[in-house]
Amino acid sequence: MIRLENLHVRVGTFDLRDISLEVPKGGYALIIGPTGSGKTTLLEAVAGHAPLRAGRVFMHDDEVTHLPPERRGLGFVYQQYHLFPHLSVRDNIGYGIRRPGAGNRTANPAARVAELADMLAIEPLLDRPVRGLSGGEQQRVALARALAPKPSILLLDEPFAAVDPATRQVLRRELRELHEREGITTLQVTHDFDEALRLGDLVAVLSEGRIAQSGTPEQVFRYPNSAFVARFVGTGNVIAGTVQRVDAADGPGPFRARFTGGSLTLDVVAEREGSMHAVLRPEDIVLSLTHHAGSARNHMQGKVVRLERLGPVTLVHLDVGRPLIASLTTQSVDEMTLKPGVPVMVAFKATAILLV
Amino acid sequence: MQLRSLLSRIVLAVLGACLVLFIIGPLLRLLFFASPQSLGEALRDTELRDSIALTVFTATAATLIAALFGVPLAYLLARRNFRGRRLVQGLIELPVVVPHPVAGIALLLFLGRRSQVGGIFAEMGLEFVSHVPGIVAAMLFVSAPILVSGAREAFRGVDPQLERVARTLGDSAWGAFRRVTLPLAGRGVLAGSILAWSRSVSEFGSIVILTYNPKVASIYIFDRFTTFGLQAAVPATVILLLVALTVLIIVRVLQPQERQ
Repeated sequence: MIRLENLHVRVGTFDLRDISLEVPKGGYALIIGPTGSGKTTLLEAVAGHAPLRAGRVFMHDDEVTHLPPERRGLGFVYQQYHLFPHLSVRDNIGYGIRRPGAGNRTANPAARVAELADMLAIEPLLDRPVRGLSGGEQQRVALARALAPKPSILLLDEPFAAVDPATRQVLRRELRELHEREGITTLQVTHDFDEALRLGDLVAVLSEGRIAQSGTPEQVFRYPNSAFVARFVGTGNVIAGTVQRVDAADGPGPFRARFTGGSLTLDVVAEREGSMHAVLRPEDIVLSLTHHAGSARNHMQGKVVRLERLGPVTLVHLDVGRPLIASLTTQSVDEMTLKPGVPVMVAFKATAILLV
Repeated sequence: MQLRSLLSRIVLAVLGACLVLFIIGPLLRLLFFASPQSLGEALRDTELRDSIALTVFTATAATLIAALFGVPLAYLLARRNFRGRRLVQGLIELPVVVPHPVAGIALLLFLGRRSQVGGIFAEMGLEFVSHVPGIVAAMLFVSAPILVSGAREAFRGVDPQLERVARTLGDSAWGAFRRVTLPLAGRGVLAGSILAWSRSVSEFGSIVILTYNPKVASIYIFDRFTTFGLQAAVPATVILLLVALTVLIIVRVLQPQERQ
């Protein structure tokens, strides 16, 4: 278990503030955010490398706020791996368990190295120097090195950023399996929301040194609480505008309203008036070639600008007076013979629009 | 276009060659000026042998002292961002720009018996002026900056993240330094130490003011030259040159390959 309470870390002029987060024992949490949002600083603070200005860090109910990194019992895999260049692969992996003199935590270091090498399929590399290893190989060695002392907590800083997409897929799957097998509480940093959807039980979106939103990946993806999160996690279309109540009743709870953003006017269900953002998921948009009266309250004329085929799904870039992206199955795109320049009817429900 | 690039290459090569020739020309002339017999004779001269032994001893002592105080400072300068770091760095490099006789006179005033500091040392039985410790002090003054900057660059070449990784793998700060930083920076630190050592061996300007006698090799050569003339000075000169060349080769071998 990792619990962070109101962390405040300052690095140079950058502030990481009000960071509170709890990763349950054996959980897999991801911190996502754009470059410069403080993700790595957050991990360094958890590891004890970055001094805290305020806040407390707990691991398994013990406070570790004032413990040096070597006494926190965690593994750390860096983005650039940082393998020790003067040691062989074997000695890199064994570094944390083959300490000269007292304090060897593992009864049989050689067996542990062999076990990890087997698990991560790097046995043939053991006697090689680390120079000349491929990105994927370095990644596996770095992971084995971090896991060797059997840490109860694993911190991963963009572990897949420097490997090719095919290797990334394999490593992701292996990491998830490894996590399930060893039951290590894991905190990973990434800028890729797709990774969070695939790996995490919990995700926290970081923006300019603060947690903008946290929850399950599904929650964050479906119900972003701000335009920033919606844009960052790729929920879909984000439109800035204002909401005005249209129904006469003024009781509590949601009400019918009109959202005006640029040239668009939409029927929405709102809980408050004023300026905000409308978020519309691409899969909630219905396209048709002829006008038909459906139940959707928002209809407009549009034009196909571009098709982005992503295998079974195709993103249709539309122009409805402003750009809009719809997501259709590739099959229906082909059936409708959509192509750039084709005029279409665009429809979506009032309840499909999320106001943030 | 190709002709121009060829021409510019020739110009660059000729300019560079001129300077290289200017450096190796005199040294080669010196090497061939001395006959093998005169070298053998010079080596049998106990005064020269003593002066070389004294030079090696004092330069080694100066380098060890510089390393003891300088390596931790170099690590600090490479790793920590403390207030006044630039000032310390500038002060450390000061001896490089101070003319050596100026350094000699400054040391004479600072360490002479009548100065406060010199007085304290004298009471402890340590005399500098016209004594061996004076040679070591002068050598230390001029060579310490070389050792510190060499070691500092060596430490800078080691990614600090590696130390952090070692810490998360259970090492204390000292353990990470000993198991990661030192093995990686060791060659660079050693190369800096050897350069500092050879700088000590070649020192003349400040030693001549602080301790003329007993004579280190450079002063011995100067003394032979002014007293007996060119012929008498050359054999000792050649021997010192050979020592310097050997040191240079060792340093080149030790320096990390990546820099090439």
